[in-house]
Amino acid sequence: MDAVDEFEFFLEKDWSDGLPVVTPTEARLVRMLSGTCRSPDELIGTVPPVRGRATVRSVAIHALMAGCKPEYLPVVLGGIALVLRDEFNLNGVQGTMHGVAPLMIVNGPYARKIGLHGGNGCFGPGFRANASIGRAIRLMLFNLGGAMPGAGSATIFATPLRYTACVTENSEHSPWESLSVSRGYSLEDDVITCAMVESPRLTFDDTNRDPQRLLTGIADSMSAMGSWNMHTRANMVVAMSPEHATLCVRAGMARADVHRRLCELAGRKVRDLKGGGNWRRERALALPIKVDPDDDECFIPAIKNPQDLHLIVAGGWGPCTAICHGWAGVSRSVHGIYEV
Amino acid sequence: MANGLQFIDPTEPRSGNPVNSAARPADLAGKVLGLLDNRKEQADVILRTLADALRERYGVARVVVRHKEHHSKLAPDALLDEMAGEVDIAIAALGG
Repeated sequence: MDAVDEFEFFLEKDWSDGLPVVTPTEARLVRMLSGTCRSPDELIGTVPPVRGRATVRSVAIHALMAGCKPEYLPVVLGGIALVLRDEFNLNGVQGTMHGVAPLMIVNGPYARKIGLHGGNGCFGPGFRANASIGRAIRLMLFNLGGAMPGAGSATIFATPLRYTACVTENSEHSPWESLSVSRGYSLEDDVITCAMVESPRLTFDDTNRDPQRLLTGIADSMSAMGSWNMHTRANMVVAMSPEHATLCVRAGMARADVHRRLCELAGRKVRDLKGGGNWRRERALALPIKVDPDDDECFIPAIKNPQDLHLIVAGGWGPCTAICHGWAGVSRSVHGIYEV
Repeated sequence: MANGLQFIDPTEPRSGNPVNSAARPADLAGKVLGLLDNRKEQADVILRTLADALRERYGVARVVVRHKEHHSKLAPDALLDEMAGEVDIAIAALGG
């Protein structure tokens, strides 16, 4: 047999995201499986739409292909279990024309232990745990779920967030409790939250120190006419830099105060929405909140249910907030403790 | 290494069996037509227009309409089984 270049082989088989993968060998699989006590044959679920089986073994294969260390495996196992929950509606997202990805926000001591990064540059390249854990999830959505563009996915643009989508919060510099603690988990719990969102859109504001003005600018970015948040009930992630969050704290605002204020400020009046974007009268009538599409003064909030807004503190020092809009289909965020 | 190479096939066997297409009827005269509305906006309008045309031009006898819970969610097996038992031919709305 001619010598096979394993890197080329995997790329030719459509078993990667377009970048080389670590070749899965039995020896590497054994090493990866040392990252968990769970049985390799344990079934976690099947990945839609083609229903490939996510077992501890097949998850470990993809984790090693993605470049994970064995100690990352518990996070990958926890993440794939969450994205397979019914309410997350992965099936719809796998096929959708839109371009969203399951963003994992990992809180708790284990995230710190394995070096998940929530600071300077956290949505971008350069951090092995973030890059490889999110990539492992994506490789499974492709290889086990069949959601390749042109095959199982009708996505128009996809999103760079489909290479990898895993962050933690900047717990060292956050002035507030974490997202998971705000939901009632303890500081010691290792928790993953997943929300189906677009890539971050940055709101740079080095002008306003008054939270009212700062949050007004952020809320404007949350209320883009073309975002699905204005036309359906959808998730949104707002990641404030420690500096922006600290400006709010100095004015006496707790995390819950900022969350509430953003829910109040973000939105548009019917008159604006009728001017373009994705407005349809029947869409407005189908919203899960009471609106009057014939009243130009009626205010339609971007956040239809406060549970849909995931406010975190991440990124490095500097005056910027990252906003990830949500998806039109019915995908409710999911969160839970994962086993380490 | 079932592949004879020194690495593991990362894909897993798919669950479920391949689905074969049903036989197509030669004509629609006297047949029962099922419409599966996926609840995207205007899907009902398009399906109703189709049904009217098929009744008028091809003699469809009766039309049965069913709805998915949401366009992005799978139709439950029970709904599909019920339709399969009642209709001769079905049209499903797709996309939006």
